[in-house]
Amino acid sequence: MDKLFPTQEIGSLAKPSWRVKGYQGDELTENEIAEAMSWGEKLGIANLEQLIQVLKNKNSPQRRKAILEWAAKYAIKFFEIAGLDVVFNGEQWRSEMYEHFIRRVSGFKVLGFVKSFDYRYFNKAACIDPPKYIKPIYLEEFLFTKENTTRKIKVPFTGAYTLVDWTFNEFYEKRVVDKVQDFTRRKFEAKKDFLFDLIKNVIRPEIKTLVDSGAEWIQIDEPAATTNPSSEEMELFVEAFNETVRGFNCIFSLHNCYSNYKILAKYAPKLQNCGQLALEFANRDNPQIGLDNIRTSYKEIKFFEEYGFSGNYGLGVIDVHSNFVEPPELIRDRILYAAKIVGDSSRIWVNPDCGLRTRSWDVSFQKLKNMVLGAELARQSLE
Amino acid sequence: MVNKQVYEPKMETIECYITGILPRPEELIEVTRAYDRARISREELENAFEKATKEVIRIQITAGLSYITDGMLKWQDLFRPFTEKLEGVHVGSLARWFNNNTFYRKPIITNRITCEKNILEEITYRKLIPKDVLWKVILPAPYTFIQLAENQAYSNKTDLMFEYAKILNKELSKLVNLGVKYIQLSDPALVYQPISKSISRDELSMVKAALDTTFKGISVKTCLQTFFGDFTQILPEALEFSVDHLGVDIYETHMEKLVKYSFDKGIALGIIDARNSLMENMDELVKLAKKIVKTIYLSDFEEIFVCPNCDLEYLPWKRAKEKIKTLRVLATRLEEELHG
Repeated sequence: MDKLFPTQEIGSLAKPSWRVKGYQGDELTENEIAEAMSWGEKLGIANLEQLIQVLKNKNSPQRRKAILEWAAKYAIKFFEIAGLDVVFNGEQWRSEMYEHFIRRVSGFKVLGFVKSFDYRYFNKAACIDPPKYIKPIYLEEFLFTKENTTRKIKVPFTGAYTLVDWTFNEFYEKRVVDKVQDFTRRKFEAKKDFLFDLIKNVIRPEIKTLVDSGAEWIQIDEPAATTNPSSEEMELFVEAFNETVRGFNCIFSLHNCYSNYKILAKYAPKLQNCGQLALEFANRDNPQIGLDNIRTSYKEIKFFEEYGFSGNYGLGVIDVHSNFVEPPELIRDRILYAAKIVGDSSRIWVNPDCGLRTRSWDVSFQKLKNMVLGAELARQSLE
Repeated sequence: MVNKQVYEPKMETIECYITGILPRPEELIEVTRAYDRARISREELENAFEKATKEVIRIQITAGLSYITDGMLKWQDLFRPFTEKLEGVHVGSLARWFNNNTFYRKPIITNRITCEKNILEEITYRKLIPKDVLWKVILPAPYTFIQLAENQAYSNKTDLMFEYAKILNKELSKLVNLGVKYIQLSDPALVYQPISKSISRDELSMVKAALDTTFKGISVKTCLQTFFGDFTQILPEALEFSVDHLGVDIYETHMEKLVKYSFDKGIALGIIDARNSLMENMDELVKLAKKIVKTIYLSDFEEIFVCPNCDLEYLPWKRAKEKIKTLRVLATRLEEELHG
């Protein structure tokens, strides 16, 4: 990018109720249709009457497809109007980052919901056969985004380590049961087998498809990266990332959040072809404006510098789990504070901590607009 | 009403129970999601919790478990609702729960902690536990509480640990009066040490003192359940802790080291893997459990329990239910092996 502090999103955006209910085939209320209209007008979406007609139609495969396309158009425009430099489709076509992926690959069986936190759950699967690539997973949404924006595109891609860590490993554990007696070793050996089969059979073919179709930047999402902080597991994570990206003519970045950055920092320099680390800080930071010691969480960027990570940072400056709209001055100070630690402002990109799927569109829009304003303020103060 | 008990734990029998939060059954999950999206009322949510609690109690009783819990379906994590109801504690931001894809909210200690209410009486579903079964409750142990809380009020964490232990002691006494028969404290932080060194000997003596305070005057059976880490790190000190039983996570514990110690306390063998969807190979487990019991008890066996290694909430409800059903089967088989 030719300017300092480019702004980007991380992935998801909440799905409006006309997208959720419409896709389920439910009839929409007047209010829901009015909401679609109101956002459409705000975002300057063309031919809104066509969407209204689609929303009023009876459920059919054509209606469902059209709703997905409209939702993606809205999300792309949402990011553009908020002023972001790098965009995608707000993951409007994905149920969520895990289930979307495993439901499109053979070898996985969904077992049911487990708690993530509070009243949030995820639909956890077991691997019951070696994973097999059946059809492209993210290709269609990438092509659609490409057609509908002139901005730079970054494709969020759920990483292999996270997919494996979040899946019960039935097939591979059964396979090693007689060979490995020790329970801990058994789990680890089976995990390794599962991980590298998944990368070879599914992840790399999907990346190849995306790159062959013109994807220039893929963000590997690995929220599970430091879940198991032992050196053996961290080495496995690094090996998985490197094997994932090996040899592709494409920019890769890593997104990791709600993690242990002291651990990640130690291994970050070993990640090959990793142009950017997109990290979460705002969630743990102080809401007061200022550049001194109150920027507690951003201090952690020092770990990465000390261990010698030389790529860029995607600096999380927006808390995605709170409705507090960060003022531009707070965002500016977070950016300037991190830039000072890094010592090279051109290595700082600006983004929310994580995907915005848990916030309303109103809140997300205000937050993103302020993020863009904050980046501009930071730029001005360095000029 | 006569307090008739279904199971009378005896030295020669192998007992079983669950050791933590149960997963929410699917119907309840739907209700909690609807509540989260403001689509149903608080009352509807409460009713759904009560209905599901009755069901998980029934399943434990039918499965023949020795002690019955309320399933802790309402618990968002090991600390809530208990510690969030203490004065001086605020609920903080999300943090990872050990090495799981599960998050808890950090208790933030903003003031000296006190307990004005009858918290446990309020949050346990005592009224739903039939009077003729043995009632078990599970609470966060002092060490895990101070390790995972953010202390902004005490000059050191040890002071906080003792203050928490005192509150726990008072609350537990009230529970005993309400009829609780078994108290488990969950203490994963005591053994979870994947990167740093094991807990120090000095810290362990503090833990022992805090447990002394916690269980002072408590007349029912007590257990310190450890999980997510190698139990042998806290040996031999743990053998002196003021609890009746020690809980061991078989899937994380160094077996060869464990069998070098002789126990004069009961053991809760965390032998059903709550983080694995595969159903256990009973032959393998019976063999392993037998080996442990035969080596750590030189003459008479103490009380022995088979149980899940940790909270079953890492599994979807259906699979957890199947695992609950295997507990008595496993206990019976182990009993036959040991006495047969």
